[in-house]
Amino acid sequence: MINVKIDGKKCTCEKGEYLYDVAKRNGIFIPVLCRHDGFEDRRSCCRICIVEVEINGRTKIVTSCVYPVERDCIVRTKSKKILEERKVIYALLKKRAPESDLEMPEGFDRLVSLDSGKCILCGLCVQACDSLGSGAISTVNRGTEKEVNTPYGNPSVSCIGCLSCANVCPTGAIEFKETANTRTIWNKKFKLMKCEECGKVIGTPEELNGESLCDACKKAQVAEDFRKTYTNA
Amino acid sequence: MAKTEKIIVCCGTGCIANGSLEVADALEKEIKRQKRKVKIVAHVERSGCSGECARGPIVRLLPRDTVYYKVKTTDAKDIIDSLEGEPVKRLLHRQDGKFFEHMHENPFHHKQHKLVLASMGIIDPESIDAYIEAGGYVGLKKALKMKPEDIIKQVEISGLRGKGGAGFPTAIKWRTAAGYDNFPKYIVCNGDEGDPGAFMDRSTMEGCPHSVIEGMIIGALAIGAEKGYLYIRDEYALARQRIQKAIDDCKRKKILGKNILGSGKKLELEIVRGGGAFVCGESTALMASIEGRVGEPRAKYIRSVQRGLWDQPTVLNNVETLASIPVILKDGGKKYTKTKVFAMVGKVKSTGLVEVPMGTTLRTLIYDIGGGIIGDRPFKAVQTGGPSGGCIPEKLLDLPVDFDTLSEHGAMMGSGGMIVMDDRSCMVEVARYYVDFLCEESCGKCTPCREGLRQMREILTRICEGKGEMEDIEMLKRIGNMMQDASLCALGKSASNPVLSTIKYFRSEYVAHIKEHRCPAGVCPKLTKFVVNKDKCRGCCACSRACPTDAIKGKPKLPHKINTKKCISCGSCREACRFDAIETKGR
Repeated sequence: MINVKIDGKKCTCEKGEYLYDVAKRNGIFIPVLCRHDGFEDRRSCCRICIVEVEINGRTKIVTSCVYPVERDCIVRTKSKKILEERKVIYALLKKRAPESDLEMPEGFDRLVSLDSGKCILCGLCVQACDSLGSGAISTVNRGTEKEVNTPYGNPSVSCIGCLSCANVCPTGAIEFKETANTRTIWNKKFKLMKCEECGKVIGTPEELNGESLCDACKKAQVAEDFRKTYTNA
Repeated sequence: MAKTEKIIVCCGTGCIANGSLEVADALEKEIKRQKRKVKIVAHVERSGCSGECARGPIVRLLPRDTVYYKVKTTDAKDIIDSLEGEPVKRLLHRQDGKFFEHMHENPFHHKQHKLVLASMGIIDPESIDAYIEAGGYVGLKKALKMKPEDIIKQVEISGLRGKGGAGFPTAIKWRTAAGYDNFPKYIVCNGDEGDPGAFMDRSTMEGCPHSVIEGMIIGALAIGAEKGYLYIRDEYALARQRIQKAIDDCKRKKILGKNILGSGKKLELEIVRGGGAFVCGESTALMASIEGRVGEPRAKYIRSVQRGLWDQPTVLNNVETLASIPVILKDGGKKYTKTKVFAMVGKVKSTGLVEVPMGTTLRTLIYDIGGGIIGDRPFKAVQTGGPSGGCIPEKLLDLPVDFDTLSEHGAMMGSGGMIVMDDRSCMVEVARYYVDFLCEESCGKCTPCREGLRQMREILTRICEGKGEMEDIEMLKRIGNMMQDASLCALGKSASNPVLSTIKYFRSEYVAHIKEHRCPAGVCPKLTKFVVNKDKCRGCCACSRACPTDAIKGKPKLPHKINTKKCISCGSCREACRFDAIETKGR
């Protein structure tokens, strides 16, 4: 058992546990944008979750979401330095994604917006797509040219139009269009299927994989089958 | 009497580009014509290694040890005629009015301490026999009789630290990897040298590939690896070719393979061709690239020695580090002198590869070995450690060069790139140049590096164009400090060094750009006006010939005049003028 003192609060954890998780479990909030509980892998790329860790009198700045706690330490999540640096990161992200809901801290008037849009390149969409087994989108290009896209920006054969990417996006940067019968995302147009029983829209044929009922009707059908099995016996 | 038994023609990348292959042919023809019995060894002599690429093709006569520079095919006859007699004076090294016939007399060489570069230029890099004859693979033979811990002990005694830039003690890295009971393990050689102006690793791989291979085999024995990769950057075709030849020859001689020299130990080596991304020189990005994933770094709280390639224990060493290993094993760790190879380029008289003991001062490097600044102009700064290093001003020239001292002053020793700048370098422009380079080469994964660099580039461009404000300097510092703390990998953490160190040591230049709309060095085109000093101008017309826009007019032997409307402030006239008559003013 390891003793961790976070912002004055005494906490304990297992060796190797991520600092962010220890803080969260103890009700200490550390802001983060590129991390999602649904994914095991952590990109640690937004860098907003930086905190100060002091071990044996030596202080260093670490990224709490991927920092494994190996020994007793003192953690400061809101020191002056951390708040200042987080503020700079927020400002940089806001300038990258001026249309997002991120708030602009004061004192950054001399920075200019170099992009439009909402994407902050946290990569959650890519992780979502990967973990569902589609792998239709990826970060492409390098450095300042980096963006999320399908291969060469063409409609991807792997995309199943499930909207997981759009749903997981923290800034709502991934756009899609839906009409009564179609859905368009990543330049690819999908037909929308309706529930055979109730007529509710249930998704694209690619993601449904032969399924023809909505969740509610499926439940009802299972219950009906169950009832029949026993009453007839 | 001076004797010549063989003629060595340097055939490294630099000399080949200058026509050394043709020179070798011409010499051979001349020998046949004169029916002389001399062996020509055409190979990398000092492919930049002793640094004098800029003065190639280089021809060396042995054993009399006469070195000729800038040899042309037309010099072949004179060289062959004088094999036993007086050297051809016009081809010798000349400095301060003196001629230097022998290499070791030349001030560029005699203050160096060559270990990694030692056999370069003496042996044929494509011949394994030549390497063995020169004492190669003796270290390996010793290592094969030792226990892994004893090998590591020797490396520990030598005090060897990683020469790729971080300076991590090699013995600790090896010992940690050896301690994991988790197989397979891997050894990786980092040959993805990407710093602008640096060519130490290329020269080593081209000039003495076997020393790298031998180092890798010894490393593999120490940690218990049976598979190794050499990650060599895409641009280094000749290096890859020579390393491949060395690997093939080793397999033939049973130095590599399933039974190394009959010891029962195994090692396979494989070359991986880099994709050309600067960031892939970073260890975790490099491993991702070998695995076939996107070359992006990961957080290194869990070290590669524990979980590296395919999550297995992996030791990654730089080319120069590995090339230092054979000597340590051969002579024992105690005898080893810690050295570092630098690629010294820029405004210094003798550019090239220089190997000196750690702790040599920058002044010795630049003035004693490099011969001082071109045209004896004032020294302004030296940029060390590649694009993420810092700029060191004159007042710190007596700093000893080692891992720790330089980083205390906001620079880093890095892999050994060293760019010397004179008073005609604008430090704001230098910072902007490096930030621009890093903008292209950042992998773009983490916010601080990707967005921070981009904003810094905007601000620096603004300052260079005279549109800066004083608060921009503060903003640069805020972004820079944040990047040092919060970036994901070493590239991002050090990417703001050029900016922060120029602000620290050359703040007045930033202020001049912002407040006076003037570039003190006369570099930034939008802030610089060129004028002719009438008293100094001799009317030689060199400037008007050099001007690309035909903006300079004047009669021969009379002072010239620059038409400011046509002038694009490129500075060609100033470079061309031999009388220091072109001066700069703010706009």
